[in-house]
Amino acid sequence: MADFVMEARHVYKTYGRKNAKKTKQANGDTSDGAKHVVEAVKDVSLQIKKGDIKLIFGPSGSGKSTFLRCLAMLDIPDKGEIYLGDECLTKPGVDLNKARARIGFVFQHIYLFRHLTALGNVELALRQVLKLPKEEARKRALAALAEVKVTDCANKFPAQMSGGQAQRVGIARALARNPDIILLDEPTSALDPELTGEVIDTLRDLAREGTTMLIVSHEMPFARDVAEEMIFYDEGRIVETGPPSQFFNAPNTDRAKQFMTRIINRTTRE
Amino acid sequence: MDVWQELIILLEGVPLTLSISIVSFLIGIVVGLPFAFIRVYEKEIGFVVDAYEKIFRGIPEIVLLLLFYFGLGPYFPSTFGNAFFTAAFVLGLRSGANQSQIYRGAIRGVGDEQMIAGMSIGLSKWRAIWHIMIPQVFTFSTSGLGSEYALLIKDSAYVYVIGGLAELMKRAIELKYSAADVVTPFVISALLYILLTFPIAFWLDRWGNRRKKKIGL
Ligand SMILES: Nc1ncnc2c1ncn2[C@@H]1O[C@H](COP(=O)(O)OP(=O)(O)OP(=O)(O)O)[C@@H](O)[C@H]1O
Ligand SMILES: [Mg+2]
Repeated sequence: MADFVMEARHVYKTYGRKNAKKTKQANGDTSDGAKHVVEAVKDVSLQIKKGDIKLIFGPSGSGKSTFLRCLAMLDIPDKGEIYLGDECLTKPGVDLNKARARIGFVFQHIYLFRHLTALGNVELALRQVLKLPKEEARKRALAALAEVKVTDCANKFPAQMSGGQAQRVGIARALARNPDIILLDEPTSALDPELTGEVIDTLRDLAREGTTMLIVSHEMPFARDVAEEMIFYDEGRIVETGPPSQFFNAPNTDRAKQFMTRIINRTTRE
Repeated sequence: MDVWQELIILLEGVPLTLSISIVSFLIGIVVGLPFAFIRVYEKEIGFVVDAYEKIFRGIPEIVLLLLFYFGLGPYFPSTFGNAFFTAAFVLGLRSGANQSQIYRGAIRGVGDEQMIAGMSIGLSKWRAIWHIMIPQVFTFSTSGLGSEYALLIKDSAYVYVIGGLAELMKRAIELKYSAADVVTPFVISALLYILLTFPIAFWLDRWGNRRKKKIGL
């Protein structure tokens, strides 16, 4: 039995031309658009146990999304190891598709499959990845939609849903196959302010049920209530880690202090 | 010979014109779709697709038809010796080159995020392409595919150069001699070509736009 559901050891990811090497994305696409080198992830290590809820926050462009994509091997790290349970995903020859089936991923911009209804979106992995029979897949998909309270959207296409409904379907899509962990990349930041509440409520429900989650978010009241650990991330590194009380009372580092002040002022002004 | 007799003779060529065009169109899908994805997602071997596109888009189909039918036909009687096979082969591969470009644009339009989302649920790259990209790529391509279909109907007329296939154009040219009438056969066939192309291209475009709206593409 592995101690951790997921673990990152000294992960690095650089975009741009470093040693004239092109960066490789999971789909085989190579990107060399950036002329300058961006070190989005520099020596980041992290451990997540079953039932953990950890929250990553930090300035825009600091590499949080990149790190999350590396964890799911949707971006291939340049260096370092990613473990899912006992399995090292960064070793050559690993069946990454199988691994990704055990990792739920929720995107900032949702990325529902546009040509499928909410039900179709959730069912796809159950049918095509888990290979469940039709009836069972449907039952589980409907249960997942019910869990995030979007049963009424089951037969709607993404274009016909509100942002909050779409993102809850996105969560159901990640949830339905009972992944070992769910990674959520700013699940509310693309939504209108009045719609973030419903998604945050969904996440609170999941937290109550003991779902293992790593969430990138700047929703501070939510962070304080549900996170066991907050991780302040800046310039490709983890700068400070600690319980919410540490960040809300007295962060150890100046950078975290400044960032917290800025974010809390912004929230109270709104 | 009166106009009605001419019309009937020409109408009898329509099924062949249609089948040459439709078979070519289907060959174009089968070739163009995988090539488009190879070009986008397997950059290492993308040059093969580029070379293919250049050849089939760069050489006039009359030249290709004559080359394959009279050049290779004698050596491969059961394939290139067959007029229908050669016609479908040349027009199909030419259409594949066009369709590959149409789909490539559509793949970019659908967006890489859809691919990433597909892989995030555990689908392999090629299964994500099948279940997520291809349905959207077709929706995105409908107006391009409508024009491509119309182009094939029109270009099927070139097939008269290799003889052997009594499609619309060949019948029109023969009528010119047998009926000693240079105008009527061509006027009738011009109208028939329009009837074969316009409604389907129009319908495809409209259906595509409706569907695009529905799924927010
Ligand atoms: N595919 C890519 N190619 C090149 N550069 C990239 C790519 N993805 C991200 N970057 C760069 O890497 C850096 C980190 O980006 P990332 O999106 O991970 O930051 P982030 O912390 O998630 O920011 P935000 O809060 O705005 O979402 C940025 O400078 C970005 O421009
Ligand atoms: Mg981000």
